Amino acid sequence: MDRVRRRRRPEHDPLAMARLGRRLSLRLLVRSFVVQGSWNYRSMQGAGLGFALVPVLRKLYGKDTTAMAEAIGRHTGFFNAHPYLSTVAIAALARMESEGTDAGQIERFKGALVSPLGSLGDRLVWSRWRPLCLLAAILLFLVGVPWWAACVAFLVAYNAVHLALRVWGLRLGWREGRYVGRALMGSPLRRLPDRLTIPLAAVSGALLPLIALAVGSTSGVGPLPVIGIAFTLAVLGAMRPGTGGRVAALGLLVASLTVIGLGVIVW
Amino acid sequence: MLGLDTVSCVQAMISRPIVAGALAGLALGDPVAGVWAGAVLEIVSLHQLPIGANRHWDTGPASVAAVVAMTSWPGSANWLVSAGFGVLVGWAGSWTVYAMRHLNARLVVKDGQPAMMPSELLARHVSAMAIDFLRAAALTLVAVWVVVRTAAISGDAPADAAAAISLVLLACVCLAIGADVTMMARGRRVWTAFGAGAALSTILWLWLG
Repeated sequence: MDRVRRRRRPEHDPLAMARLGRRLSLRLLVRSFVVQGSWNYRSMQGAGLGFALVPVLRKLYGKDTTAMAEAIGRHTGFFNAHPYLSTVAIAALARMESEGTDAGQIERFKGALVSPLGSLGDRLVWSRWRPLCLLAAILLFLVGVPWWAACVAFLVAYNAVHLALRVWGLRLGWREGRYVGRALMGSPLRRLPDRLTIPLAAVSGALLPLIALAVGSTSGVGPLPVIGIAFTLAVLGAMRPGTGGRVAALGLLVASLTVIGLGVIVW
Repeated sequence: MLGLDTVSCVQAMISRPIVAGALAGLALGDPVAGVWAGAVLEIVSLHQLPIGANRHWDTGPASVAAVVAMTSWPGSANWLVSAGFGVLVGWAGSWTVYAMRHLNARLVVKDGQPAMMPSELLARHVSAMAIDFLRAAALTLVAVWVVVRTAAISGDAPADAAAAISLVLLACVCLAIGADVTMMARGRRVWTAFGAGAALSTILWLWLG
């Protein structure tokens, strides 16, 4: 198969795309919010990536249905990344399309981007920022902040970073194009997850006695022993995190099913 | 909408138990109970990360079921039953998402043919989101129906069972917090920060009553 075959270049002048333009940027950004809309086990985000790129492809190929079909085919294959950082790939691919990069290079580029975008986003957002914001919101609620304020604080803080990441990705991807991988390697975002580790652990620790006192209030055990039990169990959970998480979920399931059974049959 | 937010659309985290619980509680007239139910479910589900093809709990419908259980279950067992229903529906939701993703694979490549035109791609993409919406709505409806029906025929837990129920809940929540922290970050500094946070929080609680 001739993977390095040059494809038909866009009919318009690539220089016209030198600036992405506010309207087109906004359309790419909006479409990036549903990049996982058709997530599947075959192409993962592939169809979503193609869907997100349609405004750029329309601008490049207009009514040339053959070129459009080829372009959509290039972008709906396998692809996966952290959804917030998918804008990096979307904008970089838009740039590459506008420069008339060949299909083989686009395919290799997409493959090379999967791992860094996934790893960075998973470490930064799923493993640090999201739990930190969630636990901080619960902590706020436990110390007496009104429920709505805790929820709003979570949504605002979390989504400020969420939106900033999407917009940053769009700008970076467009600016760097095919060299975006190199820019990602030097990005200050790579060090951010490590910096969030200590705040995350501190907030989790601060949360522990308060949630333990709340859920253990009817246990008949005094407050300080409850805190002691809580700390011991948290350490046990931390020693075997996989098992601890499973035991906690399974324990809740079995205990609640037992209570439901007793409630329906005996009580 | 809560189901769509989990993966398909925006991911602004309104499907997280703390937010979804508050919204469901607000709809049922008791947002504080909703946040309590959400907070417990949040801690237990925090280590479920939506990484790659990982099958993770569907927290939107789970939160709604947990809040309905929290507000409708008689007596002191409502916290435990709420968390239990949350876990059950979240887990069942993960399987419905798994099935939907297989269905999506057939939808985006219909008859071995991927979409070649924008309109076709749009139709398939939107169809997949519509399926997700219907899936989450159906799961939520079934879960709420089961919770309400079970609560209606269930009796109140006796007073001597309340302490045991509370201890079980305490044990599970604390185990989950420990597991959450280690799954996200490891190292001596992490434990120092965790211990410092716990100590400071305890001292402040003792001091301020």
